[in-house]
Amino acid sequence: MEITVVAEPALRLVGIEKHYGPTVAVAGIDLDVIEGEFVTLLGPSGCGKTTTLGLIAGFFHPTAGEIYLKGRPVVDLPSFQRDIGVVFQDYALFPHMTAAENVAFGLRMRKVPPAEIAKRVADALDLVQLAGLGERRPLQMSGGQRQRVALARALVINPTVLLLDEPLSNLDLKLREEMRVEIASIQRRLGITTVFVTHDQSEALVMSNRIAVMNAGRIEQIGDPSDIYERPATRFVAEFIGRMNLFSGQVTAARTVKTARGLEIGVPVPQEIAAGAAVHVAVRPERTHLLRDKPADGLALRGTLRQVLYLGPTREFHVDRSVAEERRTRDDGVCAVPEDRGRPLDRTDATAHTAGKPLADLRDHGGVVALAFGRVEIDQLHTGKW
Amino acid sequence: MPRILTRRWRATSGPWALLCTVVGFVYLFSLGPILITAAVSFNQTNRSFFPPRGFSLRWWERAFAPEWIDPLLFSLKLGSLTALLATLLALPLAFALYRYRFAGRNALIALTLGPLMLPTLVTGVGLLQLFQYLGWREYIGFTALLVGHVVICMPFAVRTVSISLQTLPPNVELAAASLGATRWLAMRHVVLPLIKSGVVAGAVFAFIHSFTDVNLSIFLARPGEVPITVKILGFLEFGFAPTLAAVSVITLLLPLILVAIVERVSGLGDFIYGDHRRG
Repeated sequence: MEITVVAEPALRLVGIEKHYGPTVAVAGIDLDVIEGEFVTLLGPSGCGKTTTLGLIAGFFHPTAGEIYLKGRPVVDLPSFQRDIGVVFQDYALFPHMTAAENVAFGLRMRKVPPAEIAKRVADALDLVQLAGLGERRPLQMSGGQRQRVALARALVINPTVLLLDEPLSNLDLKLREEMRVEIASIQRRLGITTVFVTHDQSEALVMSNRIAVMNAGRIEQIGDPSDIYERPATRFVAEFIGRMNLFSGQVTAARTVKTARGLEIGVPVPQEIAAGAAVHVAVRPERTHLLRDKPADGLALRGTLRQVLYLGPTREFHVDRSVAEERRTRDDGVCAVPEDRGRPLDRTDATAHTAGKPLADLRDHGGVVALAFGRVEIDQLHTGKW
Repeated sequence: MPRILTRRWRATSGPWALLCTVVGFVYLFSLGPILITAAVSFNQTNRSFFPPRGFSLRWWERAFAPEWIDPLLFSLKLGSLTALLATLLALPLAFALYRYRFAGRNALIALTLGPLMLPTLVTGVGLLQLFQYLGWREYIGFTALLVGHVVICMPFAVRTVSISLQTLPPNVELAAASLGATRWLAMRHVVLPLIKSGVVAGAVFAFIHSFTDVNLSIFLARPGEVPITVKILGFLEFGFAPTLAAVSVITLLLPLILVAIVERVSGLGDFIYGDHRRG
């Protein structure tokens, strides 16, 4: 006899909506998070991600929809009966309690015997590398330490789901990058189902099993980090995650795409798209090269080099097609070149006449250059209204 | 800069001298009467000389006779009960007024804080008439005083409690709920400990206001149920005497001692001087 086991998602949201009067904060969200998964709700402020987290936590009641935790409907349960762990953006530690008392709080509420509480609190503080600091009060601790206390406090109760509301946004950059890795590794080690809310895309890309990109109260796209970055499903996702050059144009008879301003892009246009169809082409800056002159195949954006931004590992070259015309047009492009390549011009330029040119030349803003796209470099081609 | 230099510069500057003068006057007028009263209580004869002539403790002995001690104890009892009731009422009121939006909220705020603006004298006359109109003559005395004092003292408690509610760190209640605390447990283990100093400050202000009130008490007292302030006022008709000076000093010291104790135990200073220390 064969037995099929259908895994019950640890967390399931079905048609969740939250309205505040005429304002719609969450406009219908469906989401399954499987056991042990790390899912990030990513979006700009006001996209409804924190509201969604609050609905899962039971801080307020959804206008419509169902929430299941391990198959159990919880929409009508108050927060304290949901068995969740929450780490707040401001940590929300209890200032009148020591770190250890903060961590012990959830266990005390669950009437765990004192001896066991002591042991589990010590273990939890150990887990977040705060062993020996249990007697400190939150006000005597650094931001990073408070963050760890908050994490330990949420983890010690072994919740069904761990909810993290922008927990890293109050830390400085160095600490933030450290905590990213640490939280992710603790999460993997404990195998705890986690929903993480952030507006920081690099956080989302580094930490998540899956990312749900949210906009205007809806999930625009959900997928693993490389899906989201490499194959954005909507224009919003393409522009929100990373940098993106976007060009709108028409399919030509030669199966290329030509923008209204005459830029021709050699993109492999699928057969089902007829010549003349309106399409959008999206190219990541790091997939373009900068050339001194237009390449032989002509598939390049020729324009004025307006800006060179030194970003450390890469250098961004902003090419402005509209030299004398209005400034911002969709045909402007950005090229990102890794610094270790030294000279941005020598990568693909077969003519080699620029190979020996020093980089300094390109720093002269206003020089005329070409932003080239090879055939394989196109990230996305979308038809119609994208 | 060496400290001595700063001081010399300040001493010679105009604004500094002006500040010293103003502060000097403030101290003169706030401490002067107290010191004079205290001194007068040690006069040899039954005359209120200042500086005192001779030295005697007999007026102090008289101040501790039942004639004075009874109203003093009465005021203490009244003040304590008022503080307790006003605070117990203020807690839920402050929560309702500053946490929720509901119909009639503004009216309730006006009703609660109104007595702060009204002359207590008017409240006193009004309460007396109300009790008489309702036929509750037998309650005039302690009961009526208690009701009146709670009415005029509660605004202080509501204010301090609501201020402490506003300084409550955001999300701590949600955090408690997420950790499995029911509303009551979150209240007991998180909210109440965090607003404790506001609650205690409210109780202290209520006590002091009750203990020092004369405007309202003068209408609602009756023989045998007289607060110390009314008793002192009555005695003044016969002129100021060293006994009265001694009684006044006792009446003055009691609330001061109370404030000192509370300050020690729960940091009332946060509330009197602002709450920078609460973080």
